[in-house]
Amino acid sequence: MVRVENLTFGYGADGFRLRVPEFSLDDGERVAVVGPSGSGKTTLLNLIAGILRPDDGRIDVAGTEVSGLSDAARRRFRASRIGFVFQDFALLDYLSARQNIFYPYRITPALVLDDAARDRAERLASACGIGDKLDRHPGGLSQGEQQRVAICRALVTQPKLILSDEATGNLDPDSKARILDLLFEQATEAGAAVLAVTHDHELLPRFERVLDFAQFREGATA
Amino acid sequence: MNALFLAFSYLRYHWARSLVLVLVAALIMFVPVATQTLLSTSERALVARGEATPLLLGSRGSQLDLTMAALYFSEERPDPVAMREVESVWDSGLGVPIPVHTAFSSGGFRIVGTTLDYFDFRDLTPASGRGLSILGDAVIGSDVAAALGKRVGDTLVSAPENLFDLDGVYPLEMPIVGVLEPTNTPDDQAIFVDIKTAWVIQGIGHGHEDVVTAADVAAGTAALANAAVVQYQRITDDNIDSFHFHGSQDDFPASAVIVVPNDTRSSTILKGRYLDSELPTQLIEPAGVIQGLVDRIFRIKSLLDVVTAIIAVAAFAAVGLAVFLSYRLRAREIATAVKLGAQKGMVLRLLAAETITLLLIAGSIAAIGAAIVSRNAESWVGWLLALGA
Amino acid sequence: MVRVLNGFLAFVVIALSGTTAFAQDRPRVVAVNQALHDFAERLLGDAAEVVFPVPEGVDPSFWRPSIADISMIQSADLILLNGAGFATWIDRVSLPRSRVVNTSAAIEDRFIVTESITHSHGDGGEHSHEGIASYTWLDPMLAIAQAEAIAAAVIVRDLAIEGIVEARLAELRSDLTALDAMAQDALSGMDGVAMIATHPRYQYFARRYSLSIASLEWDAGAMPGEDDLADLERLSTELDAGILIWEAQPPREAIELADALGLKSIVFETWAGQGTPDSLFTAYRQAVSDLADAASQFAD
Repeated sequence: MVRVENLTFGYGADGFRLRVPEFSLDDGERVAVVGPSGSGKTTLLNLIAGILRPDDGRIDVAGTEVSGLSDAARRRFRASRIGFVFQDFALLDYLSARQNIFYPYRITPALVLDDAARDRAERLASACGIGDKLDRHPGGLSQGEQQRVAICRALVTQPKLILSDEATGNLDPDSKARILDLLFEQATEAGAAVLAVTHDHELLPRFERVLDFAQFREGATA
Repeated sequence: MNALFLAFSYLRYHWARSLVLVLVAALIMFVPVATQTLLSTSERALVARGEATPLLLGSRGSQLDLTMAALYFSEERPDPVAMREVESVWDSGLGVPIPVHTAFSSGGFRIVGTTLDYFDFRDLTPASGRGLSILGDAVIGSDVAAALGKRVGDTLVSAPENLFDLDGVYPLEMPIVGVLEPTNTPDDQAIFVDIKTAWVIQGIGHGHEDVVTAADVAAGTAALANAAVVQYQRITDDNIDSFHFHGSQDDFPASAVIVVPNDTRSSTILKGRYLDSELPTQLIEPAGVIQGLVDRIFRIKSLLDVVTAIIAVAAFAAVGLAVFLSYRLRAREIATAVKLGAQKGMVLRLLAAETITLLLIAGSIAAIGAAIVSRNAESWVGWLLALGA
Repeated sequence: MVRVLNGFLAFVVIALSGTTAFAQDRPRVVAVNQALHDFAERLLGDAAEVVFPVPEGVDPSFWRPSIADISMIQSADLILLNGAGFATWIDRVSLPRSRVVNTSAAIEDRFIVTESITHSHGDGGEHSHEGIASYTWLDPMLAIAQAEAIAAAVIVRDLAIEGIVEARLAELRSDLTALDAMAQDALSGMDGVAMIATHPRYQYFARRYSLSIASLEWDAGAMPGEDDLADLERLSTELDAGILIWEAQPPREAIELADALGLKSIVFETWAGQGTPDSLFTAYRQAVSDLADAASQFAD
């Protein structure tokens, strides 16, 4: 699903530098990325998603070489192939839960909001237990419910890869496990791989593999 | 479409902020348009009234006062002109003189004493009731009827005056015999009586007075709504024959005389007759006086335009700042959109859609407001001009 | 060819003017007394409807028009006033000044001023009204002036064809002049004869023909009361009068009572209100000749 080779990336001339000699993620695989703060975990997600361009190396996602795409193509690719879940949920307070789920369809012509998409959204919401709260705005939802909405948003476009950036970081301990299970469950259902940045070590056993990021930090291996 | 959807959702969710922005923007767009409409309608109304009144004869003095009193029934009181001037115009055979006597009022509206020729000249027809027939009859303009809630069959009492210092002259109660069709001119705000009735109010004509006294009011024998007026005279079937006028009618006063010349030549001859500045009277063309007034108004208006422009710039800057700040507040949403793969320019389109939606709504409100103003401009201007008077 | 065309055009013009004349209502002229009515009718012929609105038996000086009367008068094309204080109702009614013509405007310097009437009302104290004798048309010369005023007004307002009105005015003028000559002739040498009128109506008549006519204030055509008779007797004795002029046919007994006082009764209709269907001229001639006859008897 994801293949990263000889990746280097740096912010500015003498800022933070990231170097990933090799990393891969199989279809449907669930991998946790751990590491100290500032080790470049989020940067890796951004590189895989095509938000950032590597200085060197190669990133291949589902057969597409992301690093070789133009900006517009990367945007289209991101919108159609990747689902994002954030630590702060990144929901829009002015949209209802339903419209938040549809948000990806609103911002790119690469996706078309058709009946199938609407059905999917309803099914996902029911599966996530927020089927009766779709008309509420984020302000009227609990944190757990908000993250469920965010998970629905990430999955509604049927991506093959879910990038989760501390998705459970803001949740209470009880919710963390439930939300992660839900994410895995839905990802499995959709046949999507999950690459999740996390600090919650107690959750690690739920992943198939853990990638410790400390090894990629420039200088750490040197 | 999607950008519009998001923009609209955003505006609806932050409705209070949107409302303020919309109203401010609407106001900025509306005010200059409304001012312009009202001013140009005022100009048209003023000029139309001036042009519809070819010549005005009155005592030498302020031409503006004379015009305002005779055309707009203002509170200006030009020195009275004697009725012999009316006769002298009749005798000249050069035009039709129509005296107007505007010294009195009732219920805040001018009592305009004139002759029946006035109604023909201004093309005034009663919407209900009849025209003036008998001494004491009053025919009221549509605005008077609406403002005072009076109808045919009601009565009006002239406001007490001590201007002429005539002892024993009581206010006159006048039956309303007709209500005129609205014309959107100052005629809507006038109470018309025969000029002879105005002279009765002035005390020049009188009868064996049938004065309704405070005692009558207290005893409930007088159907009287206005408790402030405790004594007034009333022209009845029994006393009308006793009404008479003292002295020669030639000496009786009018506030001004509208003169409708037969043709341009007559007009020129007539004007020539009153050129001598030694004469106690002057013959003026109200259109010229009004044009002078309008020119002055529009000089003030150009100043107002500058002020409006400055305020508009400031207000748009404020609105712009508000929009800019709201964009800043939405940096997070923009970041999210980018991460989710938003199309390039999406953010710009979203913000543009939002701004355009705001401006469209504001523009619609301003347009509706402007439409209402222009639809009602004539009557409002009539009211404004009356207010000014 | 041209003549044929001219003839045709003339025919068309006549036909058109004929249809327009019938297409619209005739103009209406209102007069405040019978004399002005008759003059206007003579000048206008069929060109206008001339109305004298005061009903029979009502003194036009004291008539009070109804709202319907007023509306009819207001809508008239021409309203002929007598002036000289005749008909006080015009002061209390709204009239369209542009259509009102005061037929005596040109003869104001020839008005006869009567004694003042003093009265008081309200808190205003006493005040007096200067009276003006109103029956101007009983002097044929003043009547001519009034007829001329009517003719001028009719022509200015285009109510009838100017040439025709001028011709009719000339005819009326000559009739009135003839009437005047006849009266001059019949009434000459009567300056010594004292006459009494039951009403002050004949000031202009008396002045024109140098007659001395004293006046009472009786009700026209009514039987005089005791006070009236006492007044008459006193005045008659004082003036040594021999003729009593009635403005309307009095009751038989009234004539007998006058006879008893040595007064010869003459009826002289003033043509103010609606009178007998005789024309003004017939009535006037009759009265003049009656007066002359009576005077000659009296002189005998």
